[in-house]
Amino acid sequence: MAAIVRISSVCHRGGKLLFYRSSLLARPLVTQQKDQDRSYLLTARIHGSSSLRAGSVSKAASLHWTGERVVSVLLLALGPAAYYFPGPAVDYSLAAALTLHGHWGIGQVLTDYVHGEPKIKMANAGLFLLSTVTFAGLCYFNYNDVGICKAVALLWSK
Amino acid sequence: MLCLYTVHVPCRVLSWYPVSCRVLSWYPVSCRVLSWYPVWSVPMMMSITHRGTGVGLSGGISAFALLALVLPDSYPYYLDLIHSLSIGPALLGLAKFGIAFPLSYHTLNGIRHLFWDSGKGFTLPEVYRSGYVVIALSILTSIAAIAYM
Repeated sequence: MAAIVRISSVCHRGGKLLFYRSSLLARPLVTQQKDQDRSYLLTARIHGSSSLRAGSVSKAASLHWTGERVVSVLLLALGPAAYYFPGPAVDYSLAAALTLHGHWGIGQVLTDYVHGEPKIKMANAGLFLLSTVTFAGLCYFNYNDVGICKAVALLWSK
Repeated sequence: MLCLYTVHVPCRVLSWYPVSCRVLSWYPVSCRVLSWYPVWSVPMMMSITHRGTGVGLSGGISAFALLALVLPDSYPYYLDLIHSLSIGPALLGLAKFGIAFPLSYHTLNGIRHLFWDSGKGFTLPEVYRSGYVVIALSILTSIAAIAYM
């Protein structure tokens, strides 16, 4: 007895049944093909252009995703580095990694909650400004003051 | 033949952000099942806490950087200023916990996220188990960080 998982978005898409996996009925295969085409066209429409540009957009998004993970791992490694090898090298690396990680993180939050083309542009511009000021401030602190590693050490010895 | 029906219904998770939720049923569900509140779950709470701690930490760093640019005196001066206020060990410990816990939680849950990104640990028992480990470890490391100095 095969189990058929029927994903039915009845309320939203007006009663259309999408067959996720079927082994007995031939008719669902036709439905699946139609829906696949429809979902592809929808994806192309979301990316806002022909399939060629959609490819480069998804490539950029994929690189962004990988970049986010790389910076996360780097930041993880900088933690013990800051503890065992405090100094200007780790200070400036921390400033860069922290700012970038935060910038991309808040960027994801904005993407999730801000809708509408002009609002998205404004929010991202504001975020860019904030991240620039943050990086400038951290570098200034590293240069003219004790530096991030020493600052944490001093704070914790209080 | 046994079928599982899934229906998307609008529901309100927070009062200002409507979200579409999935209702699982063995029976065809009619559109009448509206205003269905999702059951809060540990993974759900941990996910939003991860986001909340991230935003909070980022805000804290930005605030620190802004203050570094704006305030005239050096960092040790302001540290001594706070120290001279004689706040008391309890409140001091609480403040340190307030800094240490978001950092440790976000870091440990971030590692959990990276495991997911590598494709591991997606079964539901694993998600719950790793979640409880993250919560326990972050509380422990925060307390250890406070007790350390």
